[in-house]
Amino acid sequence: MAFDIDQYAETSTEVTWQDLDFDAFDADPLPEVTLRTLRYMCNVEYHTVCYLRDLLVTPSHKERDVNAFMTMWNREEYWHGEALADVLGRHGITVDYDALKASRLKLEWRDKLAPLRQSILGNIVGEDYIAVHMSWGAANEWSAVAAYRRLAALERHPALSPLLQRIAQQETRHVAFYASQARKRLEKSGLARRLTKLALTKAWEPVGTSISEPEDVKHVMSHLFGSEEGLAEIRRIDANIAKLPGMDGLTIVEDALRRRGVAA
Amino acid sequence: MTRHDAPVSGGAKVPGADFSVREFARSANGSHRAALRLDAYADSPLDSDTLAEVALLSRLERSALRYLRSVLVTPTHSDARMTAFLVTWAYEKYWLADALELVVAAHPDQPSSPGGESPGARLRLAWHAVGERFEPIRESVVTNLIGDDVIAVHCVTGALDEWLTQAAYQRLAETTGHEQLRDTLAGLLAVKRRHSAFFTTQARDRLTGSPRAQSLARRRLRRTAVPLGSQDEPARLLSRLLGGWITSADLAAIDRRLDGYPGLAGLRLVARTAERATRRAGRAPAVTGEPTR
Repeated sequence: MAFDIDQYAETSTEVTWQDLDFDAFDADPLPEVTLRTLRYMCNVEYHTVCYLRDLLVTPSHKERDVNAFMTMWNREEYWHGEALADVLGRHGITVDYDALKASRLKLEWRDKLAPLRQSILGNIVGEDYIAVHMSWGAANEWSAVAAYRRLAALERHPALSPLLQRIAQQETRHVAFYASQARKRLEKSGLARRLTKLALTKAWEPVGTSISEPEDVKHVMSHLFGSEEGLAEIRRIDANIAKLPGMDGLTIVEDALRRRGVAA
Repeated sequence: MTRHDAPVSGGAKVPGADFSVREFARSANGSHRAALRLDAYADSPLDSDTLAEVALLSRLERSALRYLRSVLVTPTHSDARMTAFLVTWAYEKYWLADALELVVAAHPDQPSSPGGESPGARLRLAWHAVGERFEPIRESVVTNLIGDDVIAVHCVTGALDEWLTQAAYQRLAETTGHEQLRDTLAGLLAVKRRHSAFFTTQARDRLTGSPRAQSLARRRLRRTAVPLGSQDEPARLLSRLLGGWITSADLAAIDRRLDGYPGLAGLRLVARTAERATRRAGRAPAVTGEPTR
């Protein structure tokens, strides 16, 4: 399954929501649990640029396809942040550049060392390390699609649900890129498969864990995936990851949820 | 709407608040393909010298992501206004490069990719490649100790890059007899002017009243490669860019402009960059068959 990067770049666009009736939030405001989950999602989307940084410090940025994808992906995620911030704004929750800066500064040294760690690892391991990034990215994007679709289904809100579906639709293209890159690279190299399996098993955590308070992570995971339907969704993600070359038997998403006492 | 570029409540002025990043992001310019009219080059192709310059400019625009990489490991990544700008800036530069690449690709005889250099120059490029791999490591350690002042350096660098590349676009538009290339360059320049508007506003605000940012900028700028991406280019091409395609009057004007920024007077940065490129090109073997325009 080849990913057509030119076609993706040419059709990459910011998510639109101006045609949705946001006045619906006045008559039918979102409950507190949903706003808290949206706040988390909004933060994660705006922080994509920080993940980008982690990806770029290793040799992956040299490749033309990766370069094009990262540029478009990053911008799409920024706009997801903007759209979600607008929903939150309708509920009196302000997410501006200063609030974002404050939350990034709170990460302090843990965050500052992240690119350093990545860069050293990436430069020692070289090419095969890109397979880890791509598989990791695929796991994250599969989770993101599932999370947006779950929230859309849970809320069935006339303004929120279509917006989340649109965001999820864009995320499916991100999945396609990461998964096709991961497959290609994992097929080629035994070392890449071993490294990736090790990294996913030992280090993978739900998207946003590194930039959020643990209780917020737990809230979002319970809210979206703490039911039978949620667990079924989680297992679908794990099944997708397990289908990547050399990743059979992995259940990293369900494991991460169980560690937090979330899974039903 | 409760969200603004500027802080809602009081406090110190936000650097560069006069430039609306939200508006910039909202009105980003994507693909230029529909306006390129590439068939114009079939009837009337560009000469090899012009083609070499267009190819060089496309590679320089392409280096955005590499720059982003060294910027994002520094405290600049925490500044959400900066990153919001850079996300859109990288996107727009992607499409600037794309447009220039397609103009080159519309010609049957394309300039070969840089090469044919002396052993010394090849060694220098190889050394750069090694340095590039470890640059984020050094940068993340050093700049995280320095803190927020490094943002000022990144903004001055961005401004210098724009002044230089815009001068090249401008001169090329003036000297080429090719109407379609002129139109294309005018369209691309309009995109680039917003980039320089952001960087200059930010740079001025961040340098003003901060002796620390000023002295950091003076120190680091001497070691910064401008235009961005030039460290990957052979000396013979850089010396053409800075010693002809961009005129010495342009270079002097850029240095004077930089002199006007708080604490940055007298650096002669681009004049020195041009001198260095000429010196290095002098050591490289002469390139035959490169006509001048």
